Amino acid sequence: MPDGPILDGSAAGRSETASALLQLVRVAKTYRTLRDAAVVALSPTTLEIRPGEFVSIVGPSGCGKTTLLNLMAGMIRPSAGRILFRGRNTDGPSTEVGLVFQRPVLLPWRRVLDNVLLPVEVIGLRPRAAYADKARTLLGMVGLAGFEDAYPRELSGGMQQRAAIARALVYDSSVLLMDEPFAALDAMTREELNLELLRIWQATGRTIIFVTHNIAEAVLLSDRVVVMTPRPGQVKAVIEVDLARPRSMALLGEPRFGQLAQQIRALLRPPAQAAA
Amino acid sequence: MSPRATDAAYAIATFVVVLAVWEAVLRLLGVASFFIPAPSDIAVSLVRGRALYASNYLATLGSTLAAFAFAFIPGVVLGTLVAEVRFAERTLYPLLVALQSMPRIALAPIIIVWFGFGPESKIVLGAISAFFPVFLNTVHGMATTDPEQLALMRSLRATKLQAFWKVKLPGALPFLLAGANIGIIFAILAVIVGEFLGANRGMGFLIVNESSQLDTPSVFASVLLLSATGLCFHYGLQALRRRLLFWAGGDEVAGSSLQ
Repeated sequence: MPDGPILDGSAAGRSETASALLQLVRVAKTYRTLRDAAVVALSPTTLEIRPGEFVSIVGPSGCGKTTLLNLMAGMIRPSAGRILFRGRNTDGPSTEVGLVFQRPVLLPWRRVLDNVLLPVEVIGLRPRAAYADKARTLLGMVGLAGFEDAYPRELSGGMQQRAAIARALVYDSSVLLMDEPFAALDAMTREELNLELLRIWQATGRTIIFVTHNIAEAVLLSDRVVVMTPRPGQVKAVIEVDLARPRSMALLGEPRFGQLAQQIRALLRPPAQAAA
Repeated sequence: MSPRATDAAYAIATFVVVLAVWEAVLRLLGVASFFIPAPSDIAVSLVRGRALYASNYLATLGSTLAAFAFAFIPGVVLGTLVAEVRFAERTLYPLLVALQSMPRIALAPIIIVWFGFGPESKIVLGAISAFFPVFLNTVHGMATTDPEQLALMRSLRATKLQAFWKVKLPGALPFLLAGANIGIIFAILAVIVGEFLGANRGMGFLIVNESSQLDTPSVFASVLLLSATGLCFHYGLQALRRRLLFWAGGDEVAGSSLQ
């Protein structure tokens, strides 16, 4: 990364949003298929994430939610537009960002604690002992105290995903990017993990960007919900979720919750159906 | 009794029954022992010839293990290179695959001409036979690394070397062991063929001598020793697998691809 300040974090971009943590300015992504046809995965998208926010991204399958998340993570490069992190252009993956995938992606030959410490080893953070203590604390926080020495295959899917969350938190990342992390779990485990994620978010002060298919999950968790259009995806609307915190499952029965969920559902409905 | 002990008891009982029936049938029919020997004849020649067996057996075992070592290390190193380095994939891989299609055993006579009647020719023959399964399994194992595990490493800005040591190599271990399992069997086969064709010691040499003298019980005894060795290799690797791959689950050697 160049040393000096990067000046093309354009003046306009900065003045409107001095407080933004992550800015996407007309970011688009086009893939080339094997037959050399261009597929637009993401139409020009502008979006800002404020520090400490919990933002969900919902949209129909194939709308480019994951593409958007991967762009923010620096895992893929945009075909057009700019992505700024704290006002600076990004250049590939950053250790300020923690990724949680749909699958837990634990290394099966490592014990749970060593899986959580993988980022510490790779990034080369020291002293290791201090991070090992931190990893134990995080494992306690995600409800895995006592499983430090277990191997991943000894854990249930939900427990593995908890370990993956601890792994994304261990290296002082300021943003957690989560790509449908609970989609593969049963409904009960999912609810449990939703509430735990809220607790973790509040305890750690992280910014969380959360991709999901599940409207209720998005409303329950988020400060804002970004609703995307079908492919080629772009932001259709951003819904502010004005529900008080801390939140619990009891919210699901409240009228305001239902209104918000209904509003998002209407936005997601295909235009033909909406007209009917 | 533990389930494993019960399994072993059944296996042993089966062997005992088969041997008893074999012995009984040959005795009842009065078949000559130079044609088909009874288990008792084989046991007698095994005991009588023990000194001879010991020295020849050790020669074959030594050649096999040396051949395996000379196959395994280059197999893993070259397999890794081909999987990881684009240049090696474009140059080495086609060359090695072309060589692989050659029947290696057919080279045995010329290798004996080049390397002589001693153990060297057997080691070379065993090594070129055992190399390919190890090499191909390594390439395959490295190429099938979980892409999400690699994405995870990339998200942490891991270097290529870190990704290799922390993800690719451990992930390829089941394949390396599968390659080793096949490789060691290929090695012992090639060593014995080499000893058939031109040697002054070893089990292959011994078998050729014994059969030329119609000493069939001794031939069977030799083959029995070699089978026992094959079983030892198999169970040894199985035990190694349980130690190294406890995390993968299952007892079978996974991901084996013969050629």
